[in-house]
Amino acid sequence: MSRIIRKLSNPMYIMIYATVGIFLAIYGAGAWAYGDRGFLTLRTFVNMFIDNAYYGISAVGMTMVLITGGIDLSVGAVASLTGMFIAYGTTILHIHPAVCIAFSLVVGVGLGLLMGWVIEYLNVPPFITTLTGMFLARGVCSLISRESINIQHSMIDSLAGWKIYFMHQVNGNWVKVKPIAFVNFNVILFLVMIVIGTFILQRTRFGRNIYAIGGNEQSARLMGLPVARTKILVYGFNGLCSVLAGLSYALYVKSGWNLSLQGAELDVITCAVIGGTLLTGGVGSMIGTLFGVLLKSIIPALITFNGHLLSWWGKIATGVLLLLFICIQGIVVSWSGRKRSA
Amino acid sequence: MKNSKILGAVMAEVLLLLVCLMIRPDFFSISYQPSTGMLYGNIIDILNRSSEITIIAMGMTLIIALGGTDLSVGALVAVAGAVALKLLRWDVLEYNTPGDYTVCNFFWVLVLPLVVCTLMGMFNGFLVAKGGMQPIIATLILMVCGRGVAQILTDGKQFTTGYAPFKVIGQGAFLWLPVPIIITVVVVAFMAWFTRKTAFGTFVEAVGINRSASRLSGINAAMIIFIAFAITGLLSGISGLIYSSRIMSNDSNNAGLNYEMDAILAVVIGGTSMTGGKFSLAGTVIGSILIRTIVTLVYYFGIVSEATMAFKALIIAVVIVLQSEPVRKYFAKRKGAAKS
Repeated sequence: MSRIIRKLSNPMYIMIYATVGIFLAIYGAGAWAYGDRGFLTLRTFVNMFIDNAYYGISAVGMTMVLITGGIDLSVGAVASLTGMFIAYGTTILHIHPAVCIAFSLVVGVGLGLLMGWVIEYLNVPPFITTLTGMFLARGVCSLISRESINIQHSMIDSLAGWKIYFMHQVNGNWVKVKPIAFVNFNVILFLVMIVIGTFILQRTRFGRNIYAIGGNEQSARLMGLPVARTKILVYGFNGLCSVLAGLSYALYVKSGWNLSLQGAELDVITCAVIGGTLLTGGVGSMIGTLFGVLLKSIIPALITFNGHLLSWWGKIATGVLLLLFICIQGIVVSWSGRKRSA
Repeated sequence: MKNSKILGAVMAEVLLLLVCLMIRPDFFSISYQPSTGMLYGNIIDILNRSSEITIIAMGMTLIIALGGTDLSVGALVAVAGAVALKLLRWDVLEYNTPGDYTVCNFFWVLVLPLVVCTLMGMFNGFLVAKGGMQPIIATLILMVCGRGVAQILTDGKQFTTGYAPFKVIGQGAFLWLPVPIIITVVVVAFMAWFTRKTAFGTFVEAVGINRSASRLSGINAAMIIFIAFAITGLLSGISGLIYSSRIMSNDSNNAGLNYEMDAILAVVIGGTSMTGGKFSLAGTVIGSILIRTIVTLVYYFGIVSEATMAFKALIIAVVIVLQSEPVRKYFAKRKGAAKS
C-alpha cells in the first residue's frame, strides 16, 4: 500500500492530478452555472475535442520536443503550409489530395529532421533554429498564394463529413443522442495520436531516451545513449504531427490560407505546459497534455455559454491559468528536490 | 576574435546594400523635401522603419545576455498603443471639437503608456528574478494576456486620432531626420552609456555567464534581472508609441505582431549568444538594420510582403550557420593550418 502511495506521489503524477483537478473544478463550475443551458450535455463535451483537435495533434509532438528540453516554434507555420499544399494542389493544380498529403508529409518531416540536425550538429539553439523554420514555412506559404483557397475535392469532403454519432437505446431501437453528438475524423486522429504518443514515451527505448536527454543531456551522452539520433527523430516526429495538425485544420475549415494558425505554436506550448510538461525538460506526459488541451478549450466554451463576456477575456483567463500552473510546478519541483536531498 | 561575430553581420549588410545598388543605381540618393522638412531616401527609410525593432532589441540584448528571452514585447507594443489612444480618444468623445483632443495633459498621454509597459516589464522581471521561472514561460504569460488586456482597455475597438503633437512621434521631423531615428539614436546612446560606462553591463555579463558565481561574488543577480526586464518593458512602450503614432490609431491584434521574433533575431544576428554572457549593442543595431534591409530588398524584386519571411529565413539561416560554433571552429582550424 505504501509503495503505491509512494509511486503515485511522484512529482510527475502530481502535475497530472493538478491538471485533471483544475479541469474538473472548472467543468463543475461550468455545470453549476450553465448546467440548465446544456453545458453538461455530451455535445458540449465532444465539441471541445472537435474544435481543438488540431491543437491536440500538434501538442503530442510538442510535448516530446519539450521533454527533450527543446522547443519548436515552426508547428503553426508548417500546419498552415500543409493546408496550403492541400488547397492549392487539389483546387488549382487538380492533383489528388492523397498526393498532396504525402508531399506535405515529406516536406514537414524533412524540415523537422533538418532543424533537428542543425540543432544537434551546428549547436544552434532550438529557439532560433525553429524560428527560422517558422519564417521559412510561412514565407513559402505566402509565396504560393496570399488568398484563402477553398478545398474542393470529393475525398476531402467525405473525410471531413465522416462522423460517428453517439447512439443510445430507446425501447429497443438505437437512436441518436439528443442534442446530436458525434465524433469526426479529427477527434479520432487526435485520440490515436495521444495513444501512439503514450506508447512511444512509456513503452519504447526511444521514449526512455527522450526522458533521459531531458533529465540531463550530458549524462545521457556519457551513458552512451543515441542522443543525436533521438533528438533529430523527435523534431522529425514533431514535423509529422504538425503536418497531421495541418491536415486536421484543413478538414475543419476546408480551406488553405497563408496566415492561418498564426501564433498557434504558442497555444500548443501553452497546452503542453498546463498539461504538466516542464520546459526545462525531463518531465511531461501525454495524458497531461490531453487534459491541457481540454483545459484550454473549456475557457472559450464557458465564455460562449456566458454570452456577455468579450472573447478577449479568454486570452486573459488562459494567461492566468498558465501563471497558476507554473506556480504549482515551481512548488512541486522545489518540494520534490527538498525531499530528494533530505 | 572579439568582433568576428559582428563582422559576419556587417559583411552580410554590406553585401545586401551592394545588391540593392546593382538593382537600383540611385539606391543611396537622398533628397530633401522642404514641405515636411525631412530628408528622403532608401537609407533613411531603412533606418526609420527599423527603429521600432532596434529600440526593443536594445532591451532584448540585455535579457538574452542574461540567458533569457522576452516573448511579451509584441503584446506590450499593443498595450502601449491601446493606452495612448484611449487617453486621446476620451477627449474626442467628450468635447468633439477639433483641436481640443485631450482632456488630460498630453504629457500623460506619453507617460502613462510607458508607465504601464514598465510595470508589465517589472511583472516579468519579478516572475523571473524572484519567482525563479524560466524567462520564456514567464513572458509567455503576458504574451498571451497582453493583447487581451489591450483589447479590454479599448473595448475591442480601433480608435483613430488626428492630434498633431502625437503625430510628431512617428511621422515628424527633427534636424531634417524622421523623429523615430532620433529617438532610436537617443535610446541606443543611453543604453551604450548605461551598459558600458556604469558597472551594469559587466554585471549583466557576469550573471549571464554564471548566475550563482556572480551572486557569490556579491552581485545582486535578482535585481539585475529585474532591472533588465523593466527596461525592456519601457523600451517596448516607446516602440509602441512610435508604432501607434505612425498609424495614428491602435491595433490590438496586429500592433507589434512578431516583434519579439524580429527583436530576438536582431540580437542573435548581432552576435549575442542565446546561452548568455557577452553581448554587443552595436551588433544588435546592425542586426536590426540587416533585417529591415532584407525586407526592402525583397520589395525591389516585387515580391508580396508576407513572402519576405522566406527570404528573411534564408539569409538569417546563412548568417546563423556561419556564426555557429562548429563552423567557426572549422574555419579557425583551416586558418591555423594555412599559417603553419
